[in-house]
Amino acid sequence: MKLIRKKSWQITENLVTPKEFFEKRRSFIKLGAATLVSSGAIMELLANEKLPTQTLNYIKDKNINNLKLNTYEQITSHNNFYEFTTNQRDVKDMAHTLKTENWKVTIDGLVENPMEVDLDDLVKMFDIEERIYRFRCVEGWSMVVPWNGFTLSSLIKKVKPLSTAKYLRFETLVDKDSFPDQSRGVFATLDYPYVEGLRIDEAMNDLSFLAIGLYGDVMPKQNGAPIRLVVPWKYGFKSIKSIVKISFVEKEPLNTWQKENPKEYGFYANVNPNVDHPRWSQKKERVLGSFLKQNTLMFNGYENEVASLYKNMDLTKYF
Amino acid sequence: MVRFFIYLLSLAPLVYLNIRLFIFDNVNDPIKYIYTITGGTATVILFFTISISLLKEKINLIKYRKEVGLLGFFYAFLHLLNFVVLDASFDLEFILKETLEKPFIYLGMIAFFIVLFMAITSTKQLFRKYNKYHKFIYLALILITIHWIMAQKSINISQYVYIVIILLIGFSKLFQQLIKNLK
Repeated sequence: MKLIRKKSWQITENLVTPKEFFEKRRSFIKLGAATLVSSGAIMELLANEKLPTQTLNYIKDKNINNLKLNTYEQITSHNNFYEFTTNQRDVKDMAHTLKTENWKVTIDGLVENPMEVDLDDLVKMFDIEERIYRFRCVEGWSMVVPWNGFTLSSLIKKVKPLSTAKYLRFETLVDKDSFPDQSRGVFATLDYPYVEGLRIDEAMNDLSFLAIGLYGDVMPKQNGAPIRLVVPWKYGFKSIKSIVKISFVEKEPLNTWQKENPKEYGFYANVNPNVDHPRWSQKKERVLGSFLKQNTLMFNGYENEVASLYKNMDLTKYF
Repeated sequence: MVRFFIYLLSLAPLVYLNIRLFIFDNVNDPIKYIYTITGGTATVILFFTISISLLKEKINLIKYRKEVGLLGFFYAFLHLLNFVVLDASFDLEFILKETLEKPFIYLGMIAFFIVLFMAITSTKQLFRKYNKYHKFIYLALILITIHWIMAQKSINISQYVYIVIILLIGFSKLFQQLIKNLK
């Protein structure tokens, strides 16, 4: 007999606040404001508010922790995507320049089956599921996102890493036409390409997820279209966007933020309320849309799933 | 009339902030946004107060300098209030610990207390006694600038522009002092 045990991130579907109600509530309030102020700019703002269309077929997440979803509007209008700008609100309006057509993903390095594959063909290889995850940014804000995609482990099993492969190295697209900050030379905010990495056992953990959409719709460009990593127990910068390459390597990759500022950002970047950022506390977080803060949980609330990966490790040293 | 424009310009950011927060209800990260608007406005106004003497040949606003300075203090006060009330939710132990431990916080705090001191001693009587200490505004502005840079995850191109403007004001002031001393 096979026992199906619920994961901690699964809850019954009827506990999820239907997003339609939530979105409508906000639109209704805004409509009231608009009639008060009654300006063309506001009407335009309302007209531009895009709602997701159900374009993906997926297995629903039961959200057993009863996480309260952030709205589609919030998730898609608050983005750290430095290839465009450091202004979180402006990314949404700038992201249209990202060209996602004919997207290819290269998987290479220490694997039996390296490949260069069209994204559409890659996606067809897997069952798409929904994962409702907490997302905690190192800057101190957080949200809850219903991602759609497939587990990173299912991809890893397909390409069969060699025993010498100890780490995964991910790379974001480099394309000056897609990303304005990549043509700024010495004035660019970061060194490109954006690079992230995972230890192979972290990558094999069931939580590690490759997302191709959210809220049942294809991934919005500002959120890292067409395919991005989601590792919910780590700070958001680990969840690299717009991936073009995944390499299996022997040595720990130097990830972008560690390279940028090694005193403040490490390789692991596990969410940890007991280890402060040198400049600010990590004990609490600002949930998007809220005036109040809430406590940050160890490993962002995924302690049961991932704590064993880091036993005997000094988390103040490997931050 | 001039006074009317000063107040109109200075209070516009506060009105804008409130409209965004409570009427449009579309600010994703309210605490952060309140920091940005109040901190940014305080910084701009305080830099403007030291620029008034630079501009006096063109437009003489010296007699409004005190009021402009108090408006800057008002925004700095809102900025601190945001830290105490919303960010730290009155957790005094947390506030004290952060203030003592984190340079980012104590630089901002020192700057705030300098501006607070200036606001308190801005009455006619006290100003006569304490005006020589009002030179500490330059220290406060240096601290505010460092505090602002530390608030960023990394510096982008438009922020370099602000830094250039700040340096220009700083050097103009130095230059002005040098000429004054030569005379």
